[in-house]
Amino acid sequence: MFDFLAYPMANLILLLYNLLGQSTIAAISALTLLINLLILPLTLSQQRSARKMQEFQPELEKLQKKYANNKEKLAQEQMKLYQEAGINPLGGCLPLLIQLPIWFALIGAIRYCIPTTPLEVFQFSQHIYKWLPGVVGIVPLQSTFLGMDLGQPPNPTQWWSYSLPILVLVTSWLQQKLLTPPTVADDQSQAAAMNRQMQIMMPLMMMFFTLQYSTGLSIYFIVSSLIRIGQYFFVQRGRDDEQSGSKRQAQPKKRKQ
Amino acid sequence: MNRFWTWRWPIALAVLAALLLGASGCASGPVRATSWTGLTVVGDVLYAADLTQIQALNAADADSLWAFPEDPEEDGRGTFYVTPAVDEDHVIAASQMPPAGFLGQPRNVVWALDRDTGSLLWHFDDAASQYVEGGAIGGGVFVIGNSDGNVYALDVESGDLKWTFETGHRVWATPLIVSDTVYVGSMDRHLYALDLADGWVRWDFHTQGAFASTPALRNGTLYVGAFDNRLYAIDAETGTEVWRFESGNWFWGGPAVYDDIVYAADVEGNVYALDADTGEEIWHRGLDTPVRAGLTLSEDGSRLFVSGQGGALYALETARRGADSWRPVESEGQALSTPAVNESIVYEALIYGQHRILALYVENGGEVWAYPNVVEE
Repeated sequence: MFDFLAYPMANLILLLYNLLGQSTIAAISALTLLINLLILPLTLSQQRSARKMQEFQPELEKLQKKYANNKEKLAQEQMKLYQEAGINPLGGCLPLLIQLPIWFALIGAIRYCIPTTPLEVFQFSQHIYKWLPGVVGIVPLQSTFLGMDLGQPPNPTQWWSYSLPILVLVTSWLQQKLLTPPTVADDQSQAAAMNRQMQIMMPLMMMFFTLQYSTGLSIYFIVSSLIRIGQYFFVQRGRDDEQSGSKRQAQPKKRKQ
Repeated sequence: MNRFWTWRWPIALAVLAALLLGASGCASGPVRATSWTGLTVVGDVLYAADLTQIQALNAADADSLWAFPEDPEEDGRGTFYVTPAVDEDHVIAASQMPPAGFLGQPRNVVWALDRDTGSLLWHFDDAASQYVEGGAIGGGVFVIGNSDGNVYALDVESGDLKWTFETGHRVWATPLIVSDTVYVGSMDRHLYALDLADGWVRWDFHTQGAFASTPALRNGTLYVGAFDNRLYAIDAETGTEVWRFESGNWFWGGPAVYDDIVYAADVEGNVYALDADTGEEIWHRGLDTPVRAGLTLSEDGSRLFVSGQGGALYALETARRGADSWRPVESEGQALSTPAVNESIVYEALIYGQHRILALYVENGGEVWAYPNVVEE
């Protein structure tokens, strides 16, 4: 179903593998970086949208109380508020929805590059871009990393391979924790509830995937989460600098007055 | 935002993901049980890895002589897709049994059966991953490669493990046993010559491409193709390269040799006839279909049988530069297995089609029988 994405992605992995010293881990990590750069505008918009939703929560609550018995009017007023504030109510889940096909295509791409069954690799033999430099004879890619088979799911014979899904869980939880706006413990608002749900559901879903599919996918999730965490601190530092800069600019003005 | 969606949309997202996974064909999880099935014909019996059974069929009319297991519903032994290896007393094949539970692992089992009755003699289930092609029997030893990267040598009478040899990647090729040497290719891009007695490496031949096919032997020279688009001729004694021939895509199916000519096909469907001594091209013919299967020659070497992925079986006349001997026989499904031939009949294995085995006359391509013989209502 996602082969139209999986074939180009698999070819890109082949190219990166060749450029990065024939390291499968490096190739998957570089691909993750490229994908994250590609969806960077969306992830930034997700962060902005979540923050704004949080800021406008008191006004939304007021509207809910005011139009408690008129759902139609409530929806209209909410939309009006969103439009005025420049909030896209779907801005939070759009990057996630866009990433789903990427995940599935990546599962396919890893299977083509580090095949576990012959049908997959035979299928891929007809879709390798021969014009790419150095791809002749490159399939299958080196499949082992720290004794783990990157083409296979974690399994008891390589018990340490279960560390990857755990790392996926931890890093994606941390990413969710950092990227969603902080809420008060007893906040019963809709946004707070949604954020709490997301913080639990997404890491669990990612761990579920990595338990079922090739460990190569874990590398994508872990690197992806680390990039988002780095992105958070980068944006946060920029915001802090901006705020301290505006404070410094504000102080001399006060003195003049 | 509606309260329903506030609480439920992360769950809805997870469900959507699961549905998409199913639709994308990933839902079978780590193991895809489907692969191409294997056929071996010995005398008047055809042995076939046939989904959940190993079948011994009368080669002339497809009458079942025995099946293992007799009742796969009651006594399931997994999915068989490895070409059965046959000697005077044994039929040895492998299956993959489905995992038990969410985090369970599939079991990969070698089964040794009595050749006359199909009764179970022994089984071996130490390998960690999937068996793909098949094994070879020689000198009282059964040798088979596994996707866990190991080559396993088992005592053919008892099933006891005699030795294992670890390679650097998956082993999908069927080994070739000649006298006291095992020749086996690995996806680690090496072709190994191992001592049949203890697995000791006599030599290994390194290339730029993975080896996934069985070498053919003629006058002390091995012929084997690789995923670096090359067919190699290698001295069987020393492991030194004699010549190489380059094509436009991988060589996967094993080559066939007759007299002084070696025949091979790349996965794009280019069939080559090469001088066995020099590697020079004698003729080549492009088929309009990818070819995974190995090539098979008729007993007199006059016809070369090629299964195309699209299900067609080609009979090329070796003396007429690969011209069709008879019109290619089109079938429903995919043909990825190496055809098997006896004196007068050629057998083609199919997947995803109405029939799983087709028997055709070597002489004219006329159908002898199709298995299973589905009667349309």
